[in-house]
Amino acid sequence: MNKIRKIGAYWNKPQHAAYLFIAPAFLIVVLFTIVPLLMSFYVSLTNVTTYLADGKFIGLKNFKRLFEDEYFLNSWKVTVLFTIFDVPISIGFALFVAALCNNESKFNSLMRSIYILPIICSSTVLGLTWELYLDPQIGLGNYILQSFGLPKFSIFTDISLAIYGIIFISIWRGFGMTAMILVAAMQGVSTSLYEAAELDGANAWHKFWHVTIPGISSTLWFVFITRVIGSFQVFDLVYVITGGGPAHSTETVVSYIYDKAFTHSYKLGYSSAAAECLFVVILLCTIFLYGRMLVGEKKGGVDR
Amino acid sequence: MIKSSYRLKQLIFRIIRIVILLFLAVLILAPILWMALSAFKERADISTYPPTFFPPKWTLFNIKEVFRLIPIAMYIKNSVMYTVVVTFFSLLFNSAAGYAFARLTFKGQNVLFTILMASMMIPFQVIMIPLFMEIFYMGLFDTLVGLVVPKFAAVIGIFFFRSFYFSLPKQLEEAGRIDGLTEFGIWLRIIVPLCKPALVTQAVLTLNSCWNDLLWPLLMTNNPENRMLPNGVLYFIGQDINDYGPTFAAGLISLVPILIIFLFGQKYFVSSIVNSGMKE
Repeated sequence: MNKIRKIGAYWNKPQHAAYLFIAPAFLIVVLFTIVPLLMSFYVSLTNVTTYLADGKFIGLKNFKRLFEDEYFLNSWKVTVLFTIFDVPISIGFALFVAALCNNESKFNSLMRSIYILPIICSSTVLGLTWELYLDPQIGLGNYILQSFGLPKFSIFTDISLAIYGIIFISIWRGFGMTAMILVAAMQGVSTSLYEAAELDGANAWHKFWHVTIPGISSTLWFVFITRVIGSFQVFDLVYVITGGGPAHSTETVVSYIYDKAFTHSYKLGYSSAAAECLFVVILLCTIFLYGRMLVGEKKGGVDR
Repeated sequence: MIKSSYRLKQLIFRIIRIVILLFLAVLILAPILWMALSAFKERADISTYPPTFFPPKWTLFNIKEVFRLIPIAMYIKNSVMYTVVVTFFSLLFNSAAGYAFARLTFKGQNVLFTILMASMMIPFQVIMIPLFMEIFYMGLFDTLVGLVVPKFAAVIGIFFFRSFYFSLPKQLEEAGRIDGLTEFGIWLRIIVPLCKPALVTQAVLTLNSCWNDLLWPLLMTNNPENRMLPNGVLYFIGQDINDYGPTFAAGLISLVPILIIFLFGQKYFVSSIVNSGMKE
C-alpha cells in the first residue's frame, strides 16, 4: 500500500508527470515515423519483396537500376513539370484573390468560404466530379468550353493534355486555402504602415507592392515552401483520375513508387530506393529554400 | 470635378472586383453543384446533349442503385469508425503532449521537442513502404488497430496545442495544486475546459483529413470489407460504364456528411487553415 502511494507521489511531481503526458504521442511518432525512416535506408539496399527475411543485401544496385529505368526518369520529368506550373500559378493566383477580398465584409468572407470548399472533397470525389464535368459526351464543363469555341476534347485521355488537366484541378483545389492564409497575414499588417505610405502619396499598387508584400513575406515563404514540398509528393489526384496514364504521361514519382511497391509486384526494396531519392530531393529543396528565406528576410529588414 | 472622377474610378474598380470574385465562386461551385444535382437525374437526362444543370425530373433511383452496386453502407460505417476513433485519440494524445511541452519543465525537454520537430520534415511518401512492412510484421496489417494507432499522434497537432497552451495565464496550475488536484487532474479539470476552441479546431481538421484520406487506408487494408469511402467509391472511376447516375450519387453520398460539418463548423475550418500558415 505504502509502495503504491510512493509511486503515485513520484509520478505526481510536475517534472515526472510530464513524461506521462508525452509518452503516448512520442512513442507513436518514434515507432511509426522515425523507425520507418531508419528502416528505409536499409530496405533500399535490399531486394526485399514481401518478407524482409527473403531479401538479400544488394548494395547500391537498386539505385543503379533506377537511373537506367526510363520510366523513373520520366516520372521526375512529370513531377518537375507539375511543380513548375502548380507552385507559381497557385500562389500568384491566391495572392491576387487575397488582395481582392482581404477587407472584412460579409460578401468577402462568404466568397472566401466558398473558395475553401474543395478542401472538404476527397480526391475521389474531386476525381469523379472533374472527370465527368469535362467528359466530352455528358460533361457540362466541356460543353461550356465548346460554346466558347474550343473543339470537343477528352482532356484526361490525351497524352499531351492530361498532366495539364491534373495541374488545373490541383490549382483549383488549393488556391482558396492559400488565399485564406494570405488574407490572415494581410490583416496582420499594421494599418499605420499604410497610413504612412498614403502620406507619402502612394497609390494602391505602391501600397500593395511596398507595404503588403514585405509585410507578409514570411507567410509567403512558408506557403511557397510547403507548396513545393507538396508538389513533389503529388499522388492522390493522379491515382484517382488517370492512374498515371495515358502512356505514363501523368506518372509522378510517388505514383511510380506506389506502382512498383503495391500494384503489380511487391518490389519493396526497389521502390524504397526510389523513395530515398525523393527524400533527398525534398530535403535539399527545403534546406535551399529555407536558406533563401533567411537571407531574404535579413535584406527585407521590415520591422514587424 | 476631380473628386467625382476619382469616385467613378473607385466604383468601376469595385464592380470589377465583385465580378471577378463572383466568377471565381461560380468556378468553384459549378462542378460540385452539377455533380450533386446530377445524382438526382434520370438516366436519359444525364446523357442528353447539351448537358443540363438542374434535373428536368428528380429521381432517387441513382442513390438506391449505389447501395445495390457497392456495399456503401459498410464503407460509410468503416469511414465513420476510422474518423471518430482517430479524432478522439489524436486530440487526447496531442493535447497532452502539447501541454507538457508548454507548461511543465522536465529533463530532456528541448531534445525531445527537437526530435519531434525534425520528424515533421519526413514526408509520409518516403516512409510508407517500411511503415507498411513494420505494420505487416506486427501482424496488424488489414486490422483496425494497424490502421488507426499510427494516426494517434501528429507533430503538427502537438505543436498547435503547445502554442495554444502558452497563451493561457501562468497561475492556473498553482491554483490547482493548492486545491490538491493531481497533475493529471489539473490538466483535465482546469486546462482542458479552457481550450475548447483549440480542441474543436483540431477536431474539425482531423475529421476532415480522416474522412477524405485515400492513400493510408489504401495501403493498410486488403479485405474489401475493410474499405472506406474514398477507396470504395473508386470503383466507379475509369470504368467503362454507360450509366453515370450511380457515380454521381456515390460522390454525393461521400460528400454530404463532411459538408454538414463544414456548414456548422465553418469558422473552425477557417481557423485551422489560418493556423497552418502561422509561424512561431
